[in-house]
Amino acid sequence: MRKARAGGDDEAVRQNGSSSRRRTDQHPGDGEDHDSSSGGVQDDDDDNDLGLRREIRSKYRDLINSVQQNREDMLSPSNNKLTEVLEEANKLFKDVRQAREAALDAQLLVVATDLGKEKASQLFSEGSAFDPSAFAEHLLSFMGLNRLEDEDDEPPNGCASDGYLPKDAWHRLARRAECCFRTAPSFHYMMGSFYTEPPPPKQRIERQRKAPSKEAKRIMPTQLKKMEESHQEATEKEVERILGYLKSYYQDDPSPISYYEFVIDPNSFSRTVENIFHTSFLIRDGLARLKLDSDKLPCIEPVEEEEVEAAGSFSRKQCIVSISPKIWRVRSF
Amino acid sequence: MTQRKRLSNVQSSSQSKRQSNSFMTQEEDEDATFTQPSTSQVQRGLEKLTAAQVDQKTAEVVQYILVKDQKKIPVRRADLVKHVIKDYRTVYPEIIKRAMLTFEQVFGLKLVEIDSKNHMYVLVNNLDASTARPSPVERPSNPKMGLLFVILSVIFMKGGVVRENLMWNTLKKLRVDPGQRHEEFGDVRKVITDEFVRQRYLEYVRVPHTEPVEYEFRWGQRSDMEVSKAQILEFMGQLLEQDPQSWTQQYREAHSTASSSQASSSNHR
Repeated sequence: MRKARAGGDDEAVRQNGSSSRRRTDQHPGDGEDHDSSSGGVQDDDDDNDLGLRREIRSKYRDLINSVQQNREDMLSPSNNKLTEVLEEANKLFKDVRQAREAALDAQLLVVATDLGKEKASQLFSEGSAFDPSAFAEHLLSFMGLNRLEDEDDEPPNGCASDGYLPKDAWHRLARRAECCFRTAPSFHYMMGSFYTEPPPPKQRIERQRKAPSKEAKRIMPTQLKKMEESHQEATEKEVERILGYLKSYYQDDPSPISYYEFVIDPNSFSRTVENIFHTSFLIRDGLARLKLDSDKLPCIEPVEEEEVEAAGSFSRKQCIVSISPKIWRVRSF
Repeated sequence: MTQRKRLSNVQSSSQSKRQSNSFMTQEEDEDATFTQPSTSQVQRGLEKLTAAQVDQKTAEVVQYILVKDQKKIPVRRADLVKHVIKDYRTVYPEIIKRAMLTFEQVFGLKLVEIDSKNHMYVLVNNLDASTARPSPVERPSNPKMGLLFVILSVIFMKGGVVRENLMWNTLKKLRVDPGQRHEEFGDVRKVITDEFVRQRYLEYVRVPHTEPVEYEFRWGQRSDMEVSKAQILEFMGQLLEQDPQSWTQQYREAHSTASSSQASSSNHR
């Protein structure tokens, strides 16, 4: 009932502007004898008037602030704060004489009617109303708010209550809320992408290496050259040496020699591997030939010098020879 | 190198481009060269391509969408056509159909068109959330989801629209102030009015005839697909110690839209 009355007043004012209220109020206002200084008399002392004007304006501003700050409280259907505010405004309005105060009054009405509309919408919806501030309070508890024991009843700025909200508060809420979302998990490569940082350090290392090597070259050019030559020569010499052995064995006994007998050194595995390596050069260059004998064992024989040139027309076959210390131990006899 | 081979095989592309230019006025500027090909065009296009080529293109589309979805910003059809589909646009519907199948069968995700006017797609989890327990895998939770949850809950409980002032006041009670830098979320106003809106979780629209300008919040198209109103109501009931059915309007809405939103997701032009 009281709400409806407040609504009725608002409607009348909204239609006709603030002047209509003055008309409706003047009748009871003349009867009441509240403020002798302003009742009907327009030309008071200037000082009093100014002071009163300021007071009225500041009261209006307070009212507007209180409505805006405590909006959620006022919306709650459990109290009549909105009606109280309107009655305050009514009282103040009786003293309003100038446009400035009337403007503030109008502003207060806009704010109050907005609130009234909100309250009305709550009335119309069926089921229980939803109060966001109650929701917020419960949420804070859920998030683990640690309320201090001596908290004020009404925080002055109308914002957060006292208490310490833990760091993982929002994480806790997010975890609980996950079940409400059907979010697709984001796709990321498991190992990520490669970093592009290595290049700069590598350049520095290269420059450092280049510097000493240049000097080294200047100091000992002749020695280096000798080293390189000896490397190449060593291989070639070995290959030729083995060819020599092969030819000499063949001269003594012109039948294919067992390959394994030829390459294996019974005393040294590494020598055996070296022999296989050098023999492969002979075969590659067509100076020796590998074939399988009647027992399907490989045997090797040198190629005649006339055959070497014609060998290019034959199709080359490749094979891979492997040997390990185990096999070598068995084989060496 | 392989792309040139494919170009020589797709001979119908020039024909379709000539046809599509005549429909330019109907599409948006960036989409100007693409119209949805008819089924006969698709058939003809498919005949000219090998199955392997179409599968390859489908795989590329799937990968593109998966990576784009990392930021949760919807994939635009125009971008998809321009960067991935390219000359295969005549068979675009077929490719999309296969991509949707791949998402469902291989990844357990659903590719949904949330905006049939601007043609935008999002990926949604297809697994049945109602029977799923909390994930056994420890995934790091994203606090922004908590914030989003609060906002969406308030909008839902308030009937679908909330003035921004109400939202900011409620958030202030939770120590989230748009005027201050939040230690978890940073620039709160930007996260809510920009990031969530771009991800289509929220809509932030201007209320007409307001001076000074005021905005209101609504659920975004992605939220309609991804968020379960019934679950929100459950949580609300637990939190406020009330029976979810006591909010009759919201309860009705939660349990009727649950079936319709999933049905609408399968429609796309």
